[in-house]
Amino acid sequence: MVDPNQPALNPFQFHECVILTMPTGRTAVNLREMLQIVKEVDSAVLAYHLWQSRMAIAHPEVEYPNDFAIWAATSLQDTRLAEKLSVIDPFTFEDMEEIREELAELLEEYMWDLPSVPWARPGFEFHFCEASTVVLVRPRIVAGTLSEFRSGLAGVGIDSIYYHFMDARWRLRKLKTDDFSIWLRDAFGLPELVSAIQGIDVWFYTLEGVRKAILDLLDRYMEKRDDITPGST
Amino acid sequence: MTSRLEALDPIVGAPVIDQLRRMADRLKPMRLVHINSTRIGGGVAELLIGIIPLWNELGIDARWEVIQGDQAFFEVTKAMHNALQGFKANIGKPMLDHYIDINRSNAEKLDFEADFVVVNDPQPAYLIKFLRSRAKKWIWRCHIDASRPDRKVWRFLWEAVRHYDASIFSMPGFARNLPHPQYLLYPSIDPLSDKNRDLSAQEVSAVLDRLGIERDKPIILQVSRFDSFKDPLGVIEAFRMVHAHTPCRLVLAGGEATDDPEGPRIFAEVQEAAHGEPDITLLLLPPESHYEVNALQRAADIIVQKSVREGFGLTVTEAMWKGKPVIGGAAGGIVLQLRNFRTGFLVNSPEGCALRIRYLLRHPDVGRRMGKFAKEFVRNHFLVTRNLRDYLSMMLLFRSPGEDDRRPGRTVVL
Repeated sequence: MVDPNQPALNPFQFHECVILTMPTGRTAVNLREMLQIVKEVDSAVLAYHLWQSRMAIAHPEVEYPNDFAIWAATSLQDTRLAEKLSVIDPFTFEDMEEIREELAELLEEYMWDLPSVPWARPGFEFHFCEASTVVLVRPRIVAGTLSEFRSGLAGVGIDSIYYHFMDARWRLRKLKTDDFSIWLRDAFGLPELVSAIQGIDVWFYTLEGVRKAILDLLDRYMEKRDDITPGST
Repeated sequence: MTSRLEALDPIVGAPVIDQLRRMADRLKPMRLVHINSTRIGGGVAELLIGIIPLWNELGIDARWEVIQGDQAFFEVTKAMHNALQGFKANIGKPMLDHYIDINRSNAEKLDFEADFVVVNDPQPAYLIKFLRSRAKKWIWRCHIDASRPDRKVWRFLWEAVRHYDASIFSMPGFARNLPHPQYLLYPSIDPLSDKNRDLSAQEVSAVLDRLGIERDKPIILQVSRFDSFKDPLGVIEAFRMVHAHTPCRLVLAGGEATDDPEGPRIFAEVQEAAHGEPDITLLLLPPESHYEVNALQRAADIIVQKSVREGFGLTVTEAMWKGKPVIGGAAGGIVLQLRNFRTGFLVNSPEGCALRIRYLLRHPDVGRRMGKFAKEFVRNHFLVTRNLRDYLSMMLLFRSPGEDDRRPGRTVVL
């Protein structure tokens, strides 16, 4: 067990970020247009609608994990398509072109069997956006120990949680890896805790929910350690 | 005395306020100028009243300049406004020349040197033609639904807007084809303003007594101008369907649509439709009745915004902030704000509106839950602090020397 006050070789540096949404001016009013635009737009647009929009604007309960699925459910009123689109986990892909192919293939396959093209009612069109991400280093929030990491995590804004836990999954291009678990592993080992953190299903938590889930895991680890410490001395 | 930032701290949380302070510290010294065409009345003035003191508390040297114009100028800009929203407008060359003249004469009077200038809406848009060198960066913020503008009017405006360094729109569908970065900043509300601040039960009761509204039955409320886009007749129709099943009151509160030629006719129709129904109250409120609107929203059991056409729908945001279940027409930004059974209900007809009102009257617990989520949604996305944060990020981005940093899709570590 690791002492919560044991110093790490390299401290964890918290960052914060702001997603500035940039509308592209392209709009889909039906599924055929959606497919066409998905094939044509810059990959930054897909990234925005697959995960960045979670930081830009997100309802307090997560029902569908990405904007495409939400649009299918709420605008096309096609929950079957929404279910299918929900399965796409961009963080299991190596590059955006693979994601684009998967998305286009799914939409094409789905439309193949439909007798007519589903349309969105006026006001429910899909507006394609992309984003600029501004990342700032937080010099005063540096965690040198497990205990400092816990209090840092509890005190940062949810944009930091997004940056280190969600954005990182794409930035690092490694399945189920994020800044937090990499640091915990490199600094202290902790395979069980790291695996539990990596196992958090980021798609079905709000960012505040992700924070709470990680804090719970850390607390449980530290409590367990407290349980063990008296007996082991 | 508590500063406004300190007062916002318990509402949005310390991390949000700390972040604003950190971002502002990185920008200092920073001279920012907001320009619009009126100091009172209207959403832009309301936004600036709330935001200017916050800038200064953050250490940003912010000024608010208002351009002056004569009646003819405001007639042109009103016509421009309507034309940008897709209505046919006949704006001749003499009118446009007058618009440019007024911008020129204001430019001669305006005295500022700034790092950033934010020009709000079309009225002062041409100032950039005369004052370009006075600021390092010029941002045009369009609050209007310009998704289907009149071509000629847009072409005229484009001639000025293209010189800006960036534009800001309130909804993704409003963005235009422009040769510079375009950003989406949703509108926001100020939780400290008279329209949105917490009120005590006594304050709420006093306002209702003054307005003569009894609280013996559940209150259904719509706050909006009496114009056809807000569909007050549809609300009355829905209310009558509900009233046949369940006792309740309807309050329609708002101003007259004085700049809408249809306004008086619509209000007369609303009066006619409400005639003989003691449980319907029509309130014609003066334009600055923010405190009264706040109290009415807090007293209501269900808030309706049955618009058939809408920009963003800040009245929905305000209602959600009060933790109320909201039923909104599926139009404009209301679609973005309300999600069925979660943050509210979207409806497409008086029947749909009646259906959801009846449901909520029978299931107040579901309404409370939706209201709770709605309030959190607003807290996270539509408060003035988010607006400040987005502006600060833009300023940081534009201060970064790399031209490439402002390309969409980029992650910039500063």
